[in-house]
Amino acid sequence: MNKKNPVADIVSKPYKYGFITDIETEKISKGLNEDVVKLISKKKNEPDFLLEFRLKAYKQWLKMKEPDWADLGYPKLNYQDIIYYAAPKKTDKKASLDEVDPKLLETFDKLGIPLNEQKRLSNVAVDAVFDSVSIATTYKEKLAEDGVVFCSISEAVEEYPELIKTYLGSVVPSNDNFFSALNSAVFSDGSFVFIPKGVNCPMELSSYFRINSGDTGQFERTLIIAEEGSSVSYLEGCTAPMFDTNTLHAAVVELIALDDASIKYSTVQNWYAGNEEGVGGIYNFVTKRGNCKGKRSKISWSQVETGSSITWKYPSCVLQGEQSIGEFYSVALTNNLQKADTGTKMIHVGPHTKSTIVSKGISAGKSRNSYRGLVQIGSKAKGARNYSQCDSMLIGDNASANTYPYIRSQHPDSNIEHEASTCRISEDQLFYLQSRGIGFEEAVSMMVSGFCRDVFNQLPMEFASEADKLLALKLEGSVG
Amino acid sequence: MKQPKEWINSLPKPKGTLLDIQKRGRELFLKQDIPTHSIEEWRLTKLERLFQILDLPLSIKSEDEIHPSSNSSFSEQEDKISISLESNQDPLNSIILPEGIEKIEGEKLKKVLNDNYKKHTPGNWPLSINYSSTNKIIGLKINKKNTKELEIIMNAQSNSLNSYRIIILLEENASLNLLQKDFGSKNSAISTLVELHLKKQAKLNHRWIGQGSLDSNLLANCLVEQSIGSIYSLTSVHNGWSFARVEPIITQLDGQANTIIKSLQICTKEEQIETHSHVKFNGPEGNLDQLHKAIATDKSHSIFNGKINVEKIAQKTNASQLSRNLLLSKTARIDTKPELEIIADDVKCAHGATISQLQEEELFYLQSRGIKIREATALLLKAYCQEIINKISINSIADLPINNLLESLNQ
Repeated sequence: MNKKNPVADIVSKPYKYGFITDIETEKISKGLNEDVVKLISKKKNEPDFLLEFRLKAYKQWLKMKEPDWADLGYPKLNYQDIIYYAAPKKTDKKASLDEVDPKLLETFDKLGIPLNEQKRLSNVAVDAVFDSVSIATTYKEKLAEDGVVFCSISEAVEEYPELIKTYLGSVVPSNDNFFSALNSAVFSDGSFVFIPKGVNCPMELSSYFRINSGDTGQFERTLIIAEEGSSVSYLEGCTAPMFDTNTLHAAVVELIALDDASIKYSTVQNWYAGNEEGVGGIYNFVTKRGNCKGKRSKISWSQVETGSSITWKYPSCVLQGEQSIGEFYSVALTNNLQKADTGTKMIHVGPHTKSTIVSKGISAGKSRNSYRGLVQIGSKAKGARNYSQCDSMLIGDNASANTYPYIRSQHPDSNIEHEASTCRISEDQLFYLQSRGIGFEEAVSMMVSGFCRDVFNQLPMEFASEADKLLALKLEGSVG
Repeated sequence: MKQPKEWINSLPKPKGTLLDIQKRGRELFLKQDIPTHSIEEWRLTKLERLFQILDLPLSIKSEDEIHPSSNSSFSEQEDKISISLESNQDPLNSIILPEGIEKIEGEKLKKVLNDNYKKHTPGNWPLSINYSSTNKIIGLKINKKNTKELEIIMNAQSNSLNSYRIIILLEENASLNLLQKDFGSKNSAISTLVELHLKKQAKLNHRWIGQGSLDSNLLANCLVEQSIGSIYSLTSVHNGWSFARVEPIITQLDGQANTIIKSLQICTKEEQIETHSHVKFNGPEGNLDQLHKAIATDKSHSIFNGKINVEKIAQKTNASQLSRNLLLSKTARIDTKPELEIIADDVKCAHGATISQLQEEELFYLQSRGIKIREATALLLKAYCQEIINKISINSIADLPINNLLESLNQ
C-alpha cells in the first residue's frame, strides 16, 4: 500500500451535526441535591408517587459508588457541575406543530428529521427530544386510531399514571446501578409507547434525541410496553453539538413484552465523539434492558454505535417467559481516542428460551473497542439455547479490540455456543476489488459494509442505508 | 480462618537458599488485600476453601518419620528419572543426573530466584503463599536434547500444606519431557510454582497430572517464558480436588514461538476447579493452540478464564482458543470466560466456547447399534476425555484412574 493509512484516513470527516441552536433555554442552576429533584418534579407537575420514586432513587444514588470496573479511564465526573434540567423556553403544551418554535423545527430539519408531517415521506412517527424535554410527537392521532399510545413520558405521567406506576422501574430498578439511580432521580423526559393487545403498530416509531447545551446532562427515560400479541418497531437516533467539555448522557430504557408480543428496538447513536485529541464528546452511559415477560415474546436490540467519546452500555434481555427470544445485533465503530465498552446480557430464566448475539466491532485510530457480554442459563431454563458471534476488525496498529464474554450455565439440558474472531481488511481483498476498477475508498467501505452485513440486515430499511452511509463517512480517511 | 498475620507467624523461620524469597513473599502477602468476591479474579471462588488452606500447618517431616520406601527420593529407570518430593530432604540430594542436566544450586540458584522475583513479583495470593512457604525447590538446567522423561512427584502429606517450587532453564536447542504429578491426600493442600524458561529453539513437553482426594486443595502456578523458535506444550488433567486453582501464565518474549495447551478438568461432588490461563504475545508471529475441556457433574463448579494479550508489536500472531464444556447435572455449574485483548492489526485470533451436554444424536446412534444407554454415555465421555489423556502417554494413564472416574460420572 502506498498511502500511509488510507483506511485510517476515511474516518476523519468532520462531525456534521456539531452546530448549536441559538435558542433561549430555561435552565436550573448547576448541582444536585434533594431540592433539585423536587424542583424537576414540580416543574413537570408530577403526581406524588413519581416524586417519591425520584427521592428514593436519589437516596439510593447517594449511597452508591461510581463503577470503575470497565477501566475506561475517564476523569471522575463532578456531579455538582452538571445542569440537571434544561428546556427551550415557552414549554406550554403545543396544540399543533405550528406553535413549536420555528428555530427548533429548523434544527430538526437540519438533522434530517423533518417534524412536519407533510414533508415526511416515510411512514415513521417521531418523538423529538431537545435537551430535557420532548418538543413534538408526530402522527399521534393516526396512531391513536389503532389504540397505540406514543407520547413523551411527561404526557404519559399525566394521562396514563396507572401504567407508569406499574411499569416504571419494573425492568431496571432504580438501584440497579449508579447511573440508573441517577437517571431515576432526575430523568427529565423521554418516550412512552404502549401497544394494546393484538395490535401490530402500523408505522415505525422513532425518537430523536438532541443535546444542545454544553453543560447539561441528558437523562431521558424510555418505556415501551407491548401487550399480548402486539408488535412494534422503534428507532432511536442521537446527535449533539461540539463542545470542549464532556457531557453526560445517562438514559434508561425499559422494554416489556407480554405473551406473543414482539419489540424491535434499533439505535443509531451518533453523539459528538470529541475531536482527534479526544477533547470533548459525550459520555454515553446508558442502561437498556428488556423483559420478555410473556410466553413466546421476543425482544430484539439492534444498534449502530459510532459516536460518543465513551460508550458504555449493555442492552440486555431477561428471558422470563417460556420460549421467549432475545436478540442483539450490534456494530460499534470507534476512531481516534473513542472508547466503546458495549455488549449484551442474555439472562435465560424460563424454559426453552433462545438468544442470538451478533456483535461487530471496528476499531481505528487509537481507539479501544470492547465487547463485554454475559450469557447466563439459569437452573430452570431447560432447553435454553444461545448462539453468540463476536467479530472484531482492526484498522491500523494503534487501535485495540477486546472481547470479554462471560458465560455461565446451570442447566445441563441447554446449549451455549460462542465464537469470536479478529481480522483486518486484507490487502489481497482490497487489491482484488481495485483490480476490478473499484476505487480504494469505495473498496474499503464495501469491505466494512460486508463485515457488518449481518447486523445491517436487522435494521429497518431506511436505517440500514443510513447506517451504511454513516459508517462510510466515519471511516473516511482512516484506512491504510 | 487464620488471619494473614497469624498464618505468617505460624510458619517456620526463613532459612537456607530460600531465605530471601520466603522473607519477600511474607512481606508481600501481608500487604496484599484479602481476596473478596468484588475482585474480578476471585469473583466465583469459594473463598472459604481458599482460606482453609491457611489453617493447615506447613508439612515438615523429621528424618525418622520418613517412610522407608520413600527414603530414596530418586529412582532411575531405563527411560525416566523420577524425583519424589515426599521427604523433607533436598529432593535433588544424592541423585545422579544424566549428562545434559545440571543442578542449579547455591549462589546460582539464589541469583535465578532473585531475577525471577523481579520479573514476576507475586501479585496475588496463590503466588505469595508459595513464596512464603516453599521449603522444597528443584532447580535444573537442561543443556541438550533429552530422551529420558523427567518425572516429579508430589504426594501431599495429609493434614498439612505442601509447598514446592520448580525452576527449569532450557538452553538453546535443548529439549525435555517433563511429567509432573501432584497427588492430594486427606485434608491437605499443595502449593506449587513451576517456572520454565525456554531459550531459542528449545522444546518442552510438559504433562501435568493433578489428582486430589478427600478435602484436598491445590494452588498450582506455572510461569513460562519462551524465546524465539521454542515450543512449549502443556497437557494437563486435574480432578478430585475439593478446591483447585490452576494458573498457567505463558509469555512469548520475542514472538515466533509455539505454544500448545490442552487441558482437562473434571469436577464431581462439590468440587470447585478453576483454570485461569494467560498467554501474552510480546513479539510477532507467535502461535497458540489452546483447548480447554471441562466436565461438571453433581454439585460441582467448573471455572475457566482464558486470557490472551496481543501487543502492538505482535503482528502476524495466530492464536486460537477453544473452551468446551459438558454440564451433566442440574445442580452443577459452569462458568467460562475466554478473553481477548488485541492491539496489533494483522493478526488471526479466534476463540470459541460451548457448554452443552452429550449429544442426543450420538447417544441415539450408539443405542441403535445395540449399546445400552449407560455404556453409550460412558463411551462418549471417555472419547471426550481421551483427546487430552492420549497426549499424557500410556504409562501415566495407568496412574490416572480415569476409568473409575468415568464410571463414577456415569452413575
